[in-house]
Amino acid sequence: MSGDVAKVSGSGNGTVQYGPGTKSFDQAFNANQLTRMDEALTLSSRETGLVFSVYVGELHAPTRAHAEALFERLTDDAVLLAISPGQRTLHIVTGPESSKRLPNRACALAALAMRAAFANGDLTGGIVTGLRMLADSAGRI
Amino acid sequence: MNGWLTFLVYACIPAGIIALVILGVYGKSLLRQPSRYRPGRPWTYEPAWYVPHPDAIVHQSGLPSGSTTAVGGASGEW
Repeated sequence: MSGDVAKVSGSGNGTVQYGPGTKSFDQAFNANQLTRMDEALTLSSRETGLVFSVYVGELHAPTRAHAEALFERLTDDAVLLAISPGQRTLHIVTGPESSKRLPNRACALAALAMRAAFANGDLTGGIVTGLRMLADSAGRI
Repeated sequence: MNGWLTFLVYACIPAGIIALVILGVYGKSLLRQPSRYRPGRPWTYEPAWYVPHPDAIVHQSGLPSGSTTAVGGASGEW
């Protein structure tokens, strides 16, 4: 299951780097948390045929514009979950194709569940819940 | 000799019991690293972006033409 999730290092403004990330980030999540996120990301993308991606890090103000700028580098059928734990902000961004299967109401519901988990300090649980809810809403291919 | 015995009984044994209780309460969390995120605390880690496969990213930064536009979604704060 694990291994096919690529990690992009950097804030999204510089060059994109693939492969194992820097050590400083890996400390943010332990191996168990990374495995759970990896599994949720892979399964939801495989089940729905959409490309789910998760960004965890600082978002420049205005945060929504930064999340949408990050989304511009993805495909039409992508769904971006941008989470900034420091700013306590999350954004779900859908594209021209993915928005047909994920209406804003479904995204708002997933965002609500994620907020509840994040407010309890459960970052991984919130991301996994959000991915599962979005995948359930989008349905299978 | 009598003084040492008094010290052992009235100081060392209670101190030992208190130490055992403290170890029982906090020992597990001292050994295991707690969940690192606490709401309200600053996030000092480097930003990271997870995609299911490397092909998911098509447009490199600094290319305005052909970029995917965001259509919808949701936002939230906690």
